[in-house]
Amino acid sequence: MNPFPMLLADLRTLRWTAPAIVLLVAIAIASGIAIGAQERALRQGSARAADDFDLIVGAPGSQTQLVMSAVYLQPDALPLLDGRILQALAQDERVAAFAPLGFGDVSRGYPVVGTTAAFAGRWGRIAPREGRLFAAEGEAVIGADVNYHLGDTIAPSHGTAGNQGRHGEESEEEHAHRHEGHDYRVVGRLPKLGSPWDRAILVPIESVWEIHGLGNGHASETAASDAPFWQAGTAKAGPSPDNAERIGPPFDGKRVPGVPAILIKPKSVVGAYALRAQYRQGGTMAFFPAEVLVSLYGALGDIRSVLVVASAANTVLILLSVVLLLIAVNGLRRRRYATLRALGAPRSYVLLVTWLGAALLIAAGCVAGLALGLGATHAVSGLVAARTGLSLSPSIGIGELSQAALLCLVGSVLAALPAVSSYRAPVLSGLRAD
Amino acid sequence: MPPSPLPEGRAETLVLDRLALDRRDGDGRSFSILALPALTLEPGTSLGVSGPSGSGKSSFLHLVAGLITPSAGRVSWGNRVISALGESERDRWRRGTIGFVFQDFHLIPELDVAANIALPASFSSWRLDAAGRRRALDLAEQMGLADPRRRAALLSRGEQQRVAIARALFGKPALLLADEPTASLDAARGEAIGSLLVEAAARCGASLICASHDASLLARMDGRLDLTPASAKLAS
Repeated sequence: MNPFPMLLADLRTLRWTAPAIVLLVAIAIASGIAIGAQERALRQGSARAADDFDLIVGAPGSQTQLVMSAVYLQPDALPLLDGRILQALAQDERVAAFAPLGFGDVSRGYPVVGTTAAFAGRWGRIAPREGRLFAAEGEAVIGADVNYHLGDTIAPSHGTAGNQGRHGEESEEEHAHRHEGHDYRVVGRLPKLGSPWDRAILVPIESVWEIHGLGNGHASETAASDAPFWQAGTAKAGPSPDNAERIGPPFDGKRVPGVPAILIKPKSVVGAYALRAQYRQGGTMAFFPAEVLVSLYGALGDIRSVLVVASAANTVLILLSVVLLLIAVNGLRRRRYATLRALGAPRSYVLLVTWLGAALLIAAGCVAGLALGLGATHAVSGLVAARTGLSLSPSIGIGELSQAALLCLVGSVLAALPAVSSYRAPVLSGLRAD
Repeated sequence: MPPSPLPEGRAETLVLDRLALDRRDGDGRSFSILALPALTLEPGTSLGVSGPSGSGKSSFLHLVAGLITPSAGRVSWGNRVISALGESERDRWRRGTIGFVFQDFHLIPELDVAANIALPASFSSWRLDAAGRRRALDLAEQMGLADPRRRAALLSRGEQQRVAIARALFGKPALLLADEPTASLDAARGEAIGSLLVEAAARCGASLICASHDASLLARMDGRLDLTPASAKLAS
């Protein structure tokens, strides 16, 4: 038997209803899929952004806040660590590399982050896409998405709570808090990292200190007559002109300014845990960003579970209403199917026509839902990327596919309800029905 | 499965043996819809069934077609007792034996003329073979349908009934049943449709039963059965 001529005729009578059914099912499926795929993309994207942040040391406070500030560059006021830790780390056997992170300044809405050239190059993992890393105070290397150009001059402003302007745009607030006379020159641009650091302006930590009148943390601190302007207002120490340009560790000054966070790249796993234990006492805290992320993901997962349950309930409701609609439609077609029976169609033919019709609509909805879900996930990822700089690469995984397949299966089973009611309908009353 | 393996002109003797059909009304009381004397229809002959509305003409055709089973008595076709078969057996017998023409045609409006005619083939086989397609086109031509690609919804009532007759003939039936085939047509069209039916039945050697009010159609039939509203029904 070949139910398809009849099936197509049936679908043709539902010229508007059939697409509506497909769309309803598609939306139901898409919402579930988008939630799952988006959550996973967010998790992967945020974990990738934390890749180079092995161990963070900060002043006691909220670990989450420190991760948000250090890894995701969310502006916040952080307590400072004693700068002497930088000296201790320089001599520590267990440390492969370390970098202070200094936040607080902005330019055109981009955070200006003071650090070392080594960390700007992610401990040698990346090389600038254009130009070079900063090699002296007053130089800056910019993230891939920062809209300055090589050779541009950047005038940093002091970040304030109200100063959360849009990236790439100068705001009134920024203008009012400009650090007059402390400019940076762009010497390089980093490749795309897919993290908020793509929107950061990286400068030597020494420059950040000096802009704020804290000296440069080096024993060779100088105030030579040809010293650059950014040292103009700083504390004077023993002159040593030949070392004026030296930046980066060791920070061997008598008085090393404080920093909000220090990143440590440990030599070994054992060393990492020992360092973490050591800096958990004595006025500092140390932790692996992964620890914080795991608990964040836990919360994210709980939210996802709630949303998934809600969207599953949503989907079941939509499937049920579609099935009810199909039962009603089949009720209107009683006479048509009764005619087929009178013409010699077996009951199984009517069953097949009605079941296939319903199942095909639901299956089409599931497939369309997958596509729609993927589209929605990409759209949301685009929004997330625009807001946070976190680049997400959402994909439909086996989980989403099996979710759609399961709903398709449930839908097909439910589709049997209208079919069975048509199957059981007596021919005679169908022929008499109007 | 081929659409219809049986040859044409295989009509057999239809015997209705003291048929009765009862129904229960809302109060659970039983009343009679049909009570027939013994009736025999020889192969290839025709029977006109008349009677006022509600006298059970349609029920009579449904009984013969095996769409319902009688409360008493039996329907046999040759040496098969149709009324004793199970539902799927009756479906199969009906598919191989009967062509049905309805008062309101019951075409599938979304399908074209040829597809409507060949629709019964889809009940039993996956695809319509070349012979089946040719047969559908031949039948359309015989019935005077100029354009077999035209959608059924666009046809006039007379044309729709021609398609319905062609569809009934598609499976080479041995027994043609027609329920008021001319009732929804004007006199001239009704006349033409009546002629087509009788000729078609004669051409394939099929027996023909027409339930009708139409005197001119009934006059063409070999035999005549007048149904009167059953007395039991009147009593209830």
